[in-house]
Amino acid sequence: MTEPAVAIRQVVKRYDGHVAVRDLSLTVPRGTVYGLLGPNGAGKTTSIRMLLNIIAPDEGDIRVLGRPNDDPDIVDRIGYLPEERGLYRKMQVRRVLRFLGELKGLSGKDADRRIDSWLEKLGLKNGSEDWGAAKVDELSRGMQQKVQFIGSLLHEPELVILDEPFSGLDPINAQALKDTVLDLRKQGRTVIFSTHIMDNAERMCDSVCIIARGEVVLDGRVTDVQSSHATRLVALAFTEPPSTAVRAVLSDRSLVARLDDSDRTLEAELAPDAQAPALLTRLVSAGAQLERFELVRPSLHRIFLERVGATGVEAGMSGHG
Amino acid sequence: MNKLMAVIRREYFERVRSRWFLLATVFGPVLFGALLFLPAILTARDKAKGPEELSRIVILDATGTDLGERVSSALGGGLSGSGSNAVVESVSSASLTAAEERATALVTSDSMRGYLVLDSATLAGRSARYAGANTTAMLDMSALGRAVQRQVQLMRMEAAGLEPSVSAALTSVNVSLVTERLTKRGRTDGNPLAGFLFGVAVAMLLYMTIFIYGLNVMRGVLEEKQSRVAEVVMSSVSASRLLIGKVVGVGSVGLTQLVIWVGRGWVMYSFRDKVLSRFDAGGLPLVIPDIGLLGGAMIFLFFIFGFLFYAGLFAAVGATVNSEQEAQQAQMPVVLLLLLSIMFLQNILLNPDGMLSVVLSTLPFSAPIVMPLRLSMGEVPTVQLFGALASVMVSAVAATWLASRIYRVGLLMYGKRPGVREIARWVSRR
Repeated sequence: MTEPAVAIRQVVKRYDGHVAVRDLSLTVPRGTVYGLLGPNGAGKTTSIRMLLNIIAPDEGDIRVLGRPNDDPDIVDRIGYLPEERGLYRKMQVRRVLRFLGELKGLSGKDADRRIDSWLEKLGLKNGSEDWGAAKVDELSRGMQQKVQFIGSLLHEPELVILDEPFSGLDPINAQALKDTVLDLRKQGRTVIFSTHIMDNAERMCDSVCIIARGEVVLDGRVTDVQSSHATRLVALAFTEPPSTAVRAVLSDRSLVARLDDSDRTLEAELAPDAQAPALLTRLVSAGAQLERFELVRPSLHRIFLERVGATGVEAGMSGHG
Repeated sequence: MNKLMAVIRREYFERVRSRWFLLATVFGPVLFGALLFLPAILTARDKAKGPEELSRIVILDATGTDLGERVSSALGGGLSGSGSNAVVESVSSASLTAAEERATALVTSDSMRGYLVLDSATLAGRSARYAGANTTAMLDMSALGRAVQRQVQLMRMEAAGLEPSVSAALTSVNVSLVTERLTKRGRTDGNPLAGFLFGVAVAMLLYMTIFIYGLNVMRGVLEEKQSRVAEVVMSSVSASRLLIGKVVGVGSVGLTQLVIWVGRGWVMYSFRDKVLSRFDAGGLPLVIPDIGLLGGAMIFLFFIFGFLFYAGLFAAVGATVNSEQEAQQAQMPVVLLLLLSIMFLQNILLNPDGMLSVVLSTLPFSAPIVMPLRLSMGEVPTVQLFGALASVMVSAVAATWLASRIYRVGLLMYGKRPGVREIARWVSRR
């Protein structure tokens, strides 16, 4: 078995006033899409920068693609899209991309060939127009983001790291990004992305790691994470408004701990000792016209809130997500 | 290595391709020449209209002699001179105050340029007074002073019984000092003005190139920071390599420009007789002092390491700021350091081997400009020369090291501008 794409062991990073990352350990298997989740200020960007050897950890050990992460050959096998995006504004798009490719060890000729096919793929070049010849300045924001994205993938990296890739993307670019990430997985590449949007993570990731206050709160395959949080939630829908008898069942505190009927479907959280079949039996015998009775898997969002809570964001921390 | 080359190539070609570079390379010397020689040309023009200016004055003669008349005709070019002479008014000591008031009115109403007061102190050979609108015209003032001095001398000689023609012959002495420069390489055409001008030109050229391209490095760093491109780049190449690539790339642009300028200057110099005769100036003794191959190589080395030193400092400044305005403030200490060497230019020119010159040509921040200046004006003791070179080289390495430490952290820091203590922490950070 090959070594994992990323293995971080007990990494600590302190800044002058505070600890940005404390005792972080995580493993990213090869060929997976891995989500690094956490509120702003949780230490996501700091962790990613350490992973990329942009900043050095104070303690701990990081291995990337089977090598220490300060191995100079390793950086050429990683593609990185930082949260703070930017390009040389006065430069021609093609030249910027060639430069970024050369920094990853591509020859100018190889880079040029790939740039053309990427520009065509993302709609920046077609029969009538070629944005590759324009200056970065002249591109719309959405187009600049595409260029940036090309820049991080041009050298066909084995490991792709995307820091908050969806922030600031319009829906069309966001979809293009999702498609590309899934493409990358199909090709057997490893993708790590950080986000605080749980929805995206839930849909795209094989595994996730939730960090808060610089520590791992939860980590594992998405399905495992969800099943380990045994569901206590029942989604209910009725074909006609519930009768008084049905309402009485739902307000029985020994069965239902909490009822959320803000939506068209009701969400009932089972009381600690209650079982779902018991609730179903009681509802049916009370004459409820059920359209839906479903045990719902908890969303990552809910798990996240449950585990991190409102205190997850350390006061006064800002800037580096 | 390939990555470093990629950084250097980008920094170099993006600048060389720009319109700014083309314009500066083509018109730079014109502007430079104008800055350097325009004051001299303007002074010369002022000198040309000197006699005319000096004939528009009132001479208040309270000596009771014909000194006023003598000075007036001397200013008008003597007896053979053409043009109108200065107005002479003989006054008594008692009415002098009133006469001065009238003359003042004439000056303020612009019908006269000024008035000269000759009195007993003048006859005694001590002083004459002049008040006017043109007292800052140095050449005119010294001509006026000389004229009075000579006429007083003439009067005294005549009073001692000498014939006017004899005394005139005695005082019309004008010795010009012809100099020759002796160096170990032999005797050279010692036109002091040419050596002077060449020295100033070399110093100014180095100063401007280091200044302009040092600032250019700072702007480049700031741009990478502001556009947020720094992080992508730093995920592929280490901060120190990025810094070195930037400094070398930008420095090469400066060097390219210098080479083009010097090359063009050389061509012009080779054909100087033809060019100068076009401007009716064929006889001008325009000779560049021979500084020798070693001198030339030394000037080159001082430029290279001087640039590295300042580029490092400017890069560090660029990494600590977030905006053009902040950069304006933060660059001041570095700019002042650079200015110091130019500030004392005159003192160094007047005394190239004096204490101040020796000190300034050894200190690492001024040596890159002052030492080439001294080299192009005369010989410099070998110990001083190599001592200065060593000091500049060591400082350049130190500045680059320091800058890369600051750069590494600063490039990813946004927000408040760090204080000195925080920057010190960046430098010591792992």
